Amino acid sequence: MPDRSYICRYASLLALLFWAVMSVTAGEGVEHTNVLKVKGGWNYQLDTYLSPLAYHGWQIGIGNEWWQPFRQDTRLGRTGCLANWAHVGRLDIHGGRNISSAKNNLTYGLEINGGWGAFYAWRWLDNRLKVFLGPYMEGGFTVRSIAVNVNKPMSLDIAMDVMAMSGISWSFYGKKTSYRLNYQIRTNLIGMDFLPDYWQSYYELTQSVSGTLRCSGHWNHHTVKHELSLDLQFPHSTWRVGAEHVYVNYGAEHQRFIRNQVNLVIGCIWKYKIRANERL
Amino acid sequence: MKRIRHNILLLVCMAALAACHTKDEMAYSTDPVENVEALWSIIDTKYCYVESKGVDWNAVRETYVAKASRLQKNDLIALFDLCAEMLDTLKDGHVNLYTPFDVSRCSSWYDTYPANYDAQLQKLYLRDYRTAGGLYYCTVANDSIGYIYYSSFSSSFTGTNIAWVFRAFKDCKGLIIDVRNNGGGDLTNAYKLAAPFFSEDRIVGYWQHKTGPGHNDFSPMEPQQVDASAIASKWKRPVVVLCNRRSYSATNSFVSLMRYADDATIVGGVSGGGGGMPLSYEMPCGWTVRFSSVRMYDREKKDIEQGITPDVTVTMTSTDKDDIIEKAIDLILNR
Repeated sequence: MPDRSYICRYASLLALLFWAVMSVTAGEGVEHTNVLKVKGGWNYQLDTYLSPLAYHGWQIGIGNEWWQPFRQDTRLGRTGCLANWAHVGRLDIHGGRNISSAKNNLTYGLEINGGWGAFYAWRWLDNRLKVFLGPYMEGGFTVRSIAVNVNKPMSLDIAMDVMAMSGISWSFYGKKTSYRLNYQIRTNLIGMDFLPDYWQSYYELTQSVSGTLRCSGHWNHHTVKHELSLDLQFPHSTWRVGAEHVYVNYGAEHQRFIRNQVNLVIGCIWKYKIRANERL
Repeated sequence: MKRIRHNILLLVCMAALAACHTKDEMAYSTDPVENVEALWSIIDTKYCYVESKGVDWNAVRETYVAKASRLQKNDLIALFDLCAEMLDTLKDGHVNLYTPFDVSRCSSWYDTYPANYDAQLQKLYLRDYRTAGGLYYCTVANDSIGYIYYSSFSSSFTGTNIAWVFRAFKDCKGLIIDVRNNGGGDLTNAYKLAAPFFSEDRIVGYWQHKTGPGHNDFSPMEPQQVDASAIASKWKRPVVVLCNRRSYSATNSFVSLMRYADDATIVGGVSGGGGGMPLSYEMPCGWTVRFSSVRMYDREKKDIEQGITPDVTVTMTSTDKDDIIEKAIDLILNR
């Protein structure tokens, strides 16, 4: 059986190549849709590098999501197979505070996540019902601090995952407002994790990268991120309300890291076009 | 449409089920037996000196679990005292229990040793001193010798601080670094303070991490070296390091590695040990236990947990002078 680390390396390289090719084919003159979101919610965290106890608390964050079709300009005869392909990007920043189940210790966390993917959309009912599916690549960086630990005041993990992304959206109309109900889900397939070994002090956290860089997949890492949202299109603005659930569970030698978050999301949606070489 | 709704519901249920996976979590509890068991287990699997302390750790478990079963469920003070007593069997200054109302401490590792330090007598030498970072410095023996007192490795200093100290000592024949009663602190400061006394990078010891739950699950020995370039200023004259039994933890490491400096002599009493770098972990009731987790060795691969025997052993007996400082002055002036 081939070494998993080789599979991860080659999969990561192939994924990078795929996204590089897709990104250069993404053209101008197409409509971008952007969602700027603020979030806040409840958090459950288990980080056995820092503590065997679970910590609960809250987090707040901001996020930006944008998507666009690869080609929209049919005059150039580029409809072909790219007509139903679109790509999506996200950037999220969260900060939060958690208290131990014993109620006497605190941790603080900061998380930055960014990703980019492409999906193919199937459309029915005069474009009102869409189902999409595609690959997604996500990178995340999380740092957590705990006040009470000796020589282990912080924990650090970095993950790069190739994920599968799917979703469905259904548009319907009210008297004065049109609505769109969205559901999206992403789950990891393969990737790389940087995690501290449980015996490492903060002196050594970044010293032995080879020992802490691990190949990840469904055998040791489960990530499920999903979001249910409703877009409300008023005459002059479009807004999003929804809820997202993030579940991350990964194991390393003698350790377990779990993050389970539920956030309420409010966002503002707008559309724009990039027009190169055009005079106003 | 029904099928689509059904599929969405299925996906949500799958995700919710996945979220229930928390078998690695230690449940919060103030039950005395659960806490004593957990504390015993933390030490059993993570403490690096279970074997070398010569304690029958399984017998300790039997004794203290039996005692815990007789405690009242919410008597946290009694539980603390019992846990502290159990940890005291290890006779390790790095093993402490931190609670919101008290911190357990072990003093048996220095109680039976001579103090070899008197703050009042030290004042006869540490007069008109200046402070550079965490370093107190002045000259002694008619300005012929520089004297630095460093009371805690938690107090930081910079290369600029060292440069100013050496500038004040430019006409001195030698230098005394007094780390008596220095209980340790940041280990990186120990390597930084040693750097001016090394003309080149040199291996000064080894570390072994506790990498598994077994008593002898250790990583291979990892060499540790002093980075001579960490501090640009260099001291090329004799240096004497003063230590006593209360020179503990990072200070013990400093004393150990200074034995391999270009021209250093260790004077005083045997240092305190505490060679194992401590880490900490939480118990089911939320208290934190600190314990040694990394074994440290000198360059000859000898464990430094029991302390460093000085090159010149001096025990303080005088009441009008500091015998250890006097010996250091004598050693430098008679070179």
